[in-house]
This record gives sequence, C-alpha cells and structure tokens, in this order.
Amino acid sequence: MNADLETLQKSNKTELERRGSIFNIGAPATEAVTIRNQIAVGFGDGTVRFFQSGSDPKTVKAHKGVVLSMTNYEDHVLTGGEDGRFLKISSDGNIDEIFNFGSKWVDCVASHKDTKVCSSGKTVYIWTKNKDKPQTLEHQSTVAGLAFDNKGKRLAVSRYGGVTVWKLNNNKWTASNFTWKGSHGTVTFSPDTKYIVTAMQENQIHGWRINDKADLAMRGYPSKIKSFTWVGDTPYLVTSGSSDAVCWPFDGKEGPMGRKPIVVANGGKELATFVKALNGEKAVFTGFTDGSVLLAEIDESKKPIMIRSSTGSEVSTIAISSDNSQILIGDMKGSILLSSLWADN
Amino acid sequence: MENTSQVPVTVLTGFLGAGKTTLLNRILTEQHGRKYAVIVNEFGEQGIDNDLVVDADEEVFEMNNGCICCTVRGDLIRILSGLMKRADKLDAIIVETTGLADPAPVAQTFFVDQDVADRTKLDAIVTVADAVHLSSQLVDHHEAEEQIAFADVILLNKVELVGDNDIVKVNDRIRKINPFAKIIKTTRCDAPLDEIVGLNAFSLDRVLDIEPDFLESDHDHEHDDDVTSLSFVSDTPLDMDKFQDWFGNLLRTKGQDILRSKGILNFKGEEERYVFQGVHMLMDASPMGPWPKGKDRSSRVVFIGRDLDNMNLKEGFENCKSA
Repeated sequence: MNADLETLQKSNKTELERRGSIFNIGAPATEAVTIRNQIAVGFGDGTVRFFQSGSDPKTVKAHKGVVLSMTNYEDHVLTGGEDGRFLKISSDGNIDEIFNFGSKWVDCVASHKDTKVCSSGKTVYIWTKNKDKPQTLEHQSTVAGLAFDNKGKRLAVSRYGGVTVWKLNNNKWTASNFTWKGSHGTVTFSPDTKYIVTAMQENQIHGWRINDKADLAMRGYPSKIKSFTWVGDTPYLVTSGSSDAVCWPFDGKEGPMGRKPIVVANGGKELATFVKALNGEKAVFTGFTDGSVLLAEIDESKKPIMIRSSTGSEVSTIAISSDNSQILIGDMKGSILLSSLWADN
Repeated sequence: MENTSQVPVTVLTGFLGAGKTTLLNRILTEQHGRKYAVIVNEFGEQGIDNDLVVDADEEVFEMNNGCICCTVRGDLIRILSGLMKRADKLDAIIVETTGLADPAPVAQTFFVDQDVADRTKLDAIVTVADAVHLSSQLVDHHEAEEQIAFADVILLNKVELVGDNDIVKVNDRIRKINPFAKIIKTTRCDAPLDEIVGLNAFSLDRVLDIEPDFLESDHDHEHDDDVTSLSFVSDTPLDMDKFQDWFGNLLRTKGQDILRSKGILNFKGEEERYVFQGVHMLMDASPMGPWPKGKDRSSRVVFIGRDLDNMNLKEGFENCKSA
C-alpha cells in the first residue's frame, strides 16, 4: 500500500507509525466506534469511513454537514448529523434513515441491544424493536449527552442544570433528577452503575452517587474536559482537560470523595484532549493538543510510551478494534493513523 | 488571542417588529457569494445560496466562577463547537437573539469560553431599531435600552415612515445612550451586508475609532435607571498602577451596571497606546502599537450603563493622572 511505503521512508517515526498506515481525509474526525474488526469514523464533511487493516477505507456519504454523534448498533453504526438526520449505516454502505428532524441537529445518539435512541433539541426519541413510532422523553433544555447503563434499564440524559435518569419499568419510563448548576455535556455510568458523571461546559466534571444523589465535584482543570474513559478493575475514571491524564479512583463506598486523582502521561505544555482505555489492562491512551498520543499505565512510577508523534492538530478520537489488535487515532485536520498495537501481528 | 482562522460572529439583536426578520431574510436570500451560518430561534425559512440555518434555544446559564453577572449562552457554546468541525470554512456566523433578550450573555460567551474564543471572534453587535417606535420602547422596556447600549452598529429602520425632525430626535436619543455605535438609516433594512457582517468592530484596534465629538459632554437624563454614557479625556499621561487598581475595582464592584466600556490610554513612560473593550465585568486589554506621529497623546474612555453618576467615575479617572 502506498501509505505504508510513505511512512517507511520517513524517519523519527514511532514504532506504531512505522508499521501503520496514515490517511489524510481533510476533514476533522469527530467520532469513532468499533464494529467487530472494523473501526467506523465520522467526519466533519459528513462521511462515515470504515477502516480495516490491510485495505483502503470504505467511504459512505452519510450526512450533509458534520457527523455530530455516533454509536454502534448490532453490526451497524447509528449516526446523528447537522443535517437533522438520524441514520443506521452498514459497513457495506447501506444507509437507512430512521428519522429526519429537518433543521434541528441530531446532537446525541445511544443504543442498547435492539433499542435505538437519539436526541434532537430538548427531546429524546427511543425506537424499540418492531415499533415504527418512537417513544419520546421531554426535558427542560437541550439534551447534550446520552448514556445507557450496562443492562439497558436506565438512560442518563444530561442537560442544563443536571442529569435526568430515566428508568424503564413495564415499558414505561420514569424520571429521577440529579441537579447541579451549570451546563452538562457527555455523560457516563460507572461500570458498576453506582455513579453517573458528566463533563461540564466549565473546567470541571461532576458526578453523583445514584443511591443517595451525593455530589462529587471534580475541579482544578485548566481547560474543558472533552473526553473520559473507565479504566481497569478499580475502576478509574480517566479524563482529558489537563497536561496529564487525570485518573479518579471509583473504588470503595466513597469513590473519589476526599481523595486525590493519580496523574499519568504528562504532555508537557500540551493539554490532553482525548483518552481511551486499553481494554483488559490498567492502561490508557492519551491524545494531546499537538496530535501526539501516549500510552501509560495507571501508575505514577511508570514511564509512558509515545505511540504517535505530533501532527500539529489536536487528537479528536481514538478507537481500538474489539480484539485489541488495531488502534485508530484521528485528529481535527483529518489525519488518521491505523496501526497494529502489537509488533508480532 | 488574535488568530486569522477565527470565524467572525455577528450578533443580531432588535426589539420585536423592528425588522430583524427582514434582515435575516435578506442575508439568507441574497446572492452574496459567501458561506454564512445563521443561528436562529424558531425561524421557518431555509437558506438558499449555501447558507446554513441552525436552530438554537437561548439557554442562558450562570458560570460557577463566582462572577455574579457572568452569564453565558450554553447552547451557543455547543452549536459553535459543532460548526467548527465542518470540513468547509464558514465566512461568518450570525447569531439572532429574540426581541426581549439581554445581549450580554451572548457577548460574554466570547470572553469566557476558551474553545469559543480560540475558534471564533465576536465581530459586532448589530441592533435593528424601529424609527417609529423606538422612543416609546425605550421608555417602556429595559431590554430595548440595553440592545441600543450594547450595539456596535444600529440599523435605524423604517425611516421612510418618520419625518425628518423625528429622525433627528430619535438619533439624538440613541446617541445619549450609545455615543460610539455606527447608526445606519434604512428602509426595510436595506443597508449593504458588508456594513453589517465582517466589520471587526469588537477588535481592540477599533476602539481607536471612538469619535472625539461624542466625548465632550455629560448628558442629562430623566430617570436614575436610564442607560446613559459618560466619557472622559485627559491630556496628562495616566499612571498605570493607579488605573489598574481603579478600573479593576470598578468592574468588580459596579460591573453589573456598566454595560459596555471602551478606551484608549496613554500611560506615563509607555511608548505604546493601550486599548480596552469590556462587557459588564469582563474585558480585553492590550498594547496597540505606538502613537501616530504628530497627534495628541490623549487618553479617552467611554462608559455606557446605569447609575453611572453614582460611581465617581470622573473623580476616579482624574485620580489616575500621573503626578
């Protein structure tokens, strides 16, 4: 492949860059998700491209304008776009329009098994198997984040002023509100589903212990937190937003309350913009404002490894294939590195 | 941070019925050959000529930073960060606010949010005013007054329906509130778009455009809660430490009532001009190159706000003069 030849000829490359392929798409990479041995990436030009080791990516012209949100759904991806369309896309390029919201953006998407969810404006739309008409959940302000718990029984919806957690009982959704002043974005359940955490529009993340709604304010960041990921068995919630990957421990009864986070993967003058757990390991990939990526164990005494050198554009997404063999790194200029994680692959 | 890749953003305000929709329709339908994104609240039209229409919902929220008047538009932060992911570059973004909205949260979003500040820049606040009804609206509604006070450009619209004398009156009324806005008289908002979009009015070097004519008199006004302006000029160089102490404290304690502030400063011992531009408690300031040769090095400041008479502004400014 041409891209391989090109990378071999360049010096000062990391091991992963040497054995990987680089693709210049020319539009910001906005989201990436894994479907089996492929990694689907959404771009600012409206395309979704399916990357697979050993072949050129398959390009699907999905949206007019930016791919704003993406998640996996069975063997497909669900995408939401600036063009108001909510799509189901297969890796062979088949596009199924689930709904068209016109001039309203489809800001967030989520899925659990055969349930497809998206948000547009203040409303969440839920399509369950064999039903054409979606159920709708209304909120007081625009929805900025969606997350299912691991059983698909609860759906967290972030918005201005906090999070609404919807619980499914006998086919009916009931709401419970978690309140904290400010605007809340991306939301996640802890793996044990005892906590929910949001990234705010300010330089902080906010969490709640679900059973008693106790607040966890995690502050002290120099910039906004655009990305977080759960790592290891403890588990740690690892976040971007600082010159290091900031790792908050969520073990014990109190989680991170009154405790200090561990910091790993120091980027010097650069700030972390994207973090991604290495499945099954107590290790995290951290992408920075200059495009570089470090792999670090959650252990302050260990040195991180540089796996991607600077591209001059901030890392906007990292995905790892489901068999942990391939890594994909994308940045805001649309440069994509696809490489095998292990030397003997 | 000045950055050539920042997309300029025009904020469009105007009281109900003043003609804002007419202007939006013009922006969306004229063959201007540029790529604009227009962020609106409930607007039925679709853009032609490649324009993009985005629905917003004016979510104003208070920052948790302890600054009481520091409200920003959360929806705008989200939408602008989405627009910045586009593959093709936008020539400009236009943000419409509803007729009753306070323009401050929109303007403050560009000072407070780092992501927004890195990728976009506030270009100008443009207010559409109804020449027929403005005088009565100013009496009845604080919002109308604030929209005039915040403006960099005022389209005085529907002038064809008003006699010459009344135009002079309404023009004077605007000038009492806001001495530095550019006033364009229009019929059906028929000003050229390049006098409305892409002005760089918020750029610090445009502070230098303050017209000295407006800087001479104190204005009379009828009620204490009227929005008025005060301006001061000094030919004696200012002491930088004294000015910073006074001005910092002033914005901290009175920033809620000071809607806009602007100034050019001549500090003792400094070769360069200093300029600043503020919205409520937030402001930008920086050196702006040497003074032009052969021109007076005079410091000029303008305040627009409520209750300015009780802030000892004149005395405070005088005390900043170097000994």
